[in-house]
Amino acid sequence: MRTDGRVWVLCVGLALAHLLLHVGLAIGRAAPDLLTVALLLGAREIGMGRAAGLGLFFGLLEDALSVLSFGANSVAMTVVGALGAVTRDLFVGDSLLFLVSYFVIGKWTRDLVHWVMVGESLRAPFVEQVVVQGLIGGLYAALVGVLLLGIPGLGKGAQV
Amino acid sequence: MPAYGPEPETNGGRQKGILAATFLILALSTSYLPASVQQRIAWSMRVTILVPFLATQDRLTVAQLNARDVGGLMRQLDSMTALSSTRAVLVEENRDLRELLGLADRAEPSFLPATVLRPGTQGSERFFFVDVGRAHGIYEGASVVTQDGLVGKILDVREEISSGMDWTHPDFSASAMLQDGSMFGLVENRPGDFREVDRLVFDGTAYNEEALPGTVVLTSGFGGVYPQGIPIGVVDEVEDTQGGWRKSYYLRAMVQPGSVRHVLVTRRPAEADVSALWLADSLQAMEPASGEGRRP
Repeated sequence: MRTDGRVWVLCVGLALAHLLLHVGLAIGRAAPDLLTVALLLGAREIGMGRAAGLGLFFGLLEDALSVLSFGANSVAMTVVGALGAVTRDLFVGDSLLFLVSYFVIGKWTRDLVHWVMVGESLRAPFVEQVVVQGLIGGLYAALVGVLLLGIPGLGKGAQV
Repeated sequence: MPAYGPEPETNGGRQKGILAATFLILALSTSYLPASVQQRIAWSMRVTILVPFLATQDRLTVAQLNARDVGGLMRQLDSMTALSSTRAVLVEENRDLRELLGLADRAEPSFLPATVLRPGTQGSERFFFVDVGRAHGIYEGASVVTQDGLVGKILDVREEISSGMDWTHPDFSASAMLQDGSMFGLVENRPGDFREVDRLVFDGTAYNEEALPGTVVLTSGFGGVYPQGIPIGVVDEVEDTQGGWRKSYYLRAMVQPGSVRHVLVTRRPAEADVSALWLADSLQAMEPASGEGRRP
């Protein structure tokens, strides 16, 4: 299978796993944000335009399940997709430190943009959503992302 | 020697940038679309891509409910059967009289059982879906309750499924009164530093009257959103006093929405008093379970 195809398969697989864990099994915060992990993994491989498009699609999927803050996830995921792709031109590396930083900052940026976009009346307190949940979610995403890249075959297809 | 300049940008790079900017503009525009268009997009995704996942949660929730405390349910069923058998004649007589007097339209709202589905994604923590919709007689603004009290209300209704918000939503408010009708006000959500410490506040009450801790607060029926008599919470402590003319009280909520899996949804706009559905002895029995119990 071509590298590009492997990345798409990985993104679709992670997206389905995310929806199964969060929507199907209603695990909530106990499950990692695999949608963001998929986007961050894919963004470095598929280029800025397609990464932004993938982010928009993922964001719309999440927005479909939130009634009053429609659009917040779309913007957050599109921004993360585009920025994730830009990092390919700025940073080259596959060290553990780089990988962890990439996933933590990516997930944290997603939470920050979502917090800004969701509007004053609906947003949770900054400390809760961005500082605490954002960083914990970022570390969780980094753990999952690094483990995924360690799987033989997957790591080559989506080499960060 | 020519000066060292930036690397020339390729057409491919520029195209990708334009494509990304286009997607970003599209994403931003979704926030400003009319609510009806947003709902149409959301529902189109819910009835296509997300259907298997919502159906999975529905089946799991139903299976969990079925598996939970079968013995207890059997005991409840036995007592209900005994109760209903003695009241069957009265109910029939009542129905005949209502039909004769043409009271059907003014009757108290009927409730429909429904299973709650939680989206479980970011930004949707205060929302839920119920597996009943317009086809079952559900309307926008319908009250969502449990045997303990008020959960929230329905916001959007489709043919077979509806979405709603619970009382932890910042926009939640309900006209309310003390159980004996001696004090009226507005119950609102007061967000804490963390979602787990969100509290209900009974606001806008008269300064010179005092609600004792442990007193049950019910919906008052004013405003026409919630029918009169649904328990919301019990008075816990004074939250604030303003200018010697107004007081507000923290409430201990009757229902913790996160743990709710099965609810009842009203089927017609309610004007009647439904407090009889939550009998006085039931309300008293609920108080210790909803918090620390009554204060002296």
